[in-house]
Amino acid sequence: MKKTTLGTAAGLGLATLLAVTGCSAGGSNDEAGGDTTVTFLTHWGPDQVTMLEDAAAAFTKENPDVTVDVQAVPFGNLLSTLRTQGASADGPTITGIYDLWLPELVRDGLADAAPDDVATEVTDNWPSSLVDAASSEGTVYGVPNEVDLYQLNYNTALFAEAGIDGPPATWDELLDDAAKLTKSEGGTTTQQGIGFITGWGSGAVHPFLSLLASNGGTFLNEDGTASALGDDAALETAELYQKLVDDKLTDPSKSTANANTTGPYLDNFAGGKTAMIIMANWWESAIKDAMGDDYKNVATAPIPVGPNGTESSSISYSWMTTVNAKADDDKRDAAWKFLSWLNGPDSGEAGSSAMADILLSMGILPSRNSDIEVNAAALETPFLASYVSALETATPFPTVIGGQAAADALQKQIESLLNGQTDAAGAMKTASDEVDSALERAQK
Amino acid sequence: MTTVKIAGEGAALLPRRAPRPKSRQKGQGRWSALFLSPALIVIGVFTLIPMVMTFVISLHEWSMFTPITEMNWVGLENYETLFDDSNRIQAMGNTAIYVVLSIVITVPLGLLIAMLLYFPKLKGKGLVRVILFSTYVIPTIAIVIIWSNIYAPGYGPLSTMLQAIGVTPPGWLSDPSWALISLVIFNVWQMLGYYVILLVAGLTQIPEDLYEAAKIDGAGLVRQTWSITIPMLNKTLVFVLLMTFINSIQVFDPIYLLTQGGPAGSTNMVSYEIQRSAFSYGLAGESSALAVTLFMSIVVVGAVLGIVMKGRNK
Repeated sequence: MKKTTLGTAAGLGLATLLAVTGCSAGGSNDEAGGDTTVTFLTHWGPDQVTMLEDAAAAFTKENPDVTVDVQAVPFGNLLSTLRTQGASADGPTITGIYDLWLPELVRDGLADAAPDDVATEVTDNWPSSLVDAASSEGTVYGVPNEVDLYQLNYNTALFAEAGIDGPPATWDELLDDAAKLTKSEGGTTTQQGIGFITGWGSGAVHPFLSLLASNGGTFLNEDGTASALGDDAALETAELYQKLVDDKLTDPSKSTANANTTGPYLDNFAGGKTAMIIMANWWESAIKDAMGDDYKNVATAPIPVGPNGTESSSISYSWMTTVNAKADDDKRDAAWKFLSWLNGPDSGEAGSSAMADILLSMGILPSRNSDIEVNAAALETPFLASYVSALETATPFPTVIGGQAAADALQKQIESLLNGQTDAAGAMKTASDEVDSALERAQK
Repeated sequence: MTTVKIAGEGAALLPRRAPRPKSRQKGQGRWSALFLSPALIVIGVFTLIPMVMTFVISLHEWSMFTPITEMNWVGLENYETLFDDSNRIQAMGNTAIYVVLSIVITVPLGLLIAMLLYFPKLKGKGLVRVILFSTYVIPTIAIVIIWSNIYAPGYGPLSTMLQAIGVTPPGWLSDPSWALISLVIFNVWQMLGYYVILLVAGLTQIPEDLYEAAKIDGAGLVRQTWSITIPMLNKTLVFVLLMTFINSIQVFDPIYLLTQGGPAGSTNMVSYEIQRSAFSYGLAGESSALAVTLFMSIVVVGAVLGIVMKGRNK
């Protein structure tokens, strides 16, 4: 009797709870309206979301049966949103993703293979390195959009003050210039020759890998299953860092980044306390805002070439849009149709794609060949020109399962090296072991 | 003892209530169950089920990109390999240091401030309590913005003050030797007010006549503190100790917002490692095994404190 009472009461309670919380089965919006609604998950800011919504409205005008609903989350929450919602058929239909995430999405059957016409369009209109990043085992899974590279940014006013004519082209010149540009008072470095970012994965790892690539080395072996940090090229890159640390030409206390990927490293460069830094093209708007009139003193140059390198090479990474393989056929078809239009030459201004217009509004390089041609004038700024030129010789960051954990393992050792906690050989040995371990665990 | 006697006498004077009829008791039980059921269901759905699910996930390999029904069973493998990763060992070490430093600094400091706020007859004590408590009420994100500027190297107020007196400031958040300590300072600053309020509340429960009797017997301030205040505040102190332990071991927001576990992994804590393993690396099984381990360590410490308390009360 007691059990019956409790059961009845609990059942009533549960029913009440469900009624109160409104948990009930229901159909999706598009079924009610008769149209196909696709959702587009992005990490862009409000201005770019408005531009994307305008583009989506223009697409709906041409295709009245398709509605695109834009959802935005902060960059830091994009991957977690995808992990918690992506596996559902009702999750985001289109998602803007970092290329490093693609292998995992493909493995877990979450990324839809592009239809033949879209795959051909991507293969024909994007640089091969970006097609590779958007593909897995020869199948295209996404439409590339943003491409990011690293170049040497330097303060021309500080260079002029130190009597240096131009940016360093080699590591030897980098060391010489850094020595001339470093100032200290009472044992404290008041101006560092070169700054290296810490506390933020990409900010620490990508500049190191760009110097490594410019010294003829790579992060991982060819098939992406093990570290290549045991090679001489990596050791020499670590030794360059160690030399800069030992000679106090770089000051790690001036180089931290916060969760917003801003902070002291930006403040010190903007404030003239850092003469050189290796950074990506997308931070142009941040330094413009931070420096005001002094922005005119900022110049960019290729990554200095190491003793084993033959040419300057920047690490590149890209973003792309993928379609949820779990979504129903209508949604997937509509999503690919929209992406094809959004990234095509008819959606934007004067032959540019609507996607390129959105990216350029943030100072980000578009990647479609025709977008680079059409927007050549906009990209020929003193700041961006060097980045555009670097596209040809860029080294794509390896997009393999476990790549993020491998990069984090390297970041830890770079930061230990910059803080004098280890030497070059020790850092590369530990990094190599930990990268191997991270890859093995992720790829098992 | 006196209180019990009075209560007993009082109870004896009251007219004895007639026992309730059984049918009425049954009816009351039904109603109690009915009214309690929403709360029990909420606890079940939002506390017990997630806890059980976390344990179940810890026995699987799962990237979170696939439906939960498609997880791969691995048994206890995630627990066996828990300490194979150097990052996790470092995270556990960092967490232990953070917890110990937080307890060692917060509890005695909280007690001292609580006594200073409670015993002397000073004006404005209430205002000081409000100010102290406000650090606990303000959202961490807002406080972090302020502290990231306080800790700014070179141009931050803390560095500027040290430079003004001829001391070379450390890289508060950029130096691996200092980053963890800087986070402990932040934690103490943020949580101290909450513990002070708890301890002040505990102090109000100590009868004044004990201090008066002690004074008559010639006990000084130190003797009164050692022989009256601390023993009588025992339960509150243990509660504060336990809360400091739980709050410290679960620290996440300042790590996520200020240091991202760096530099060189020096501020990587277990809670941050749980989040990173699950959401960045897609290792939800290993992450859940770490979460279960963290939960068990909290349970063990809580149980030990409980046993110690029980022993002392006997």
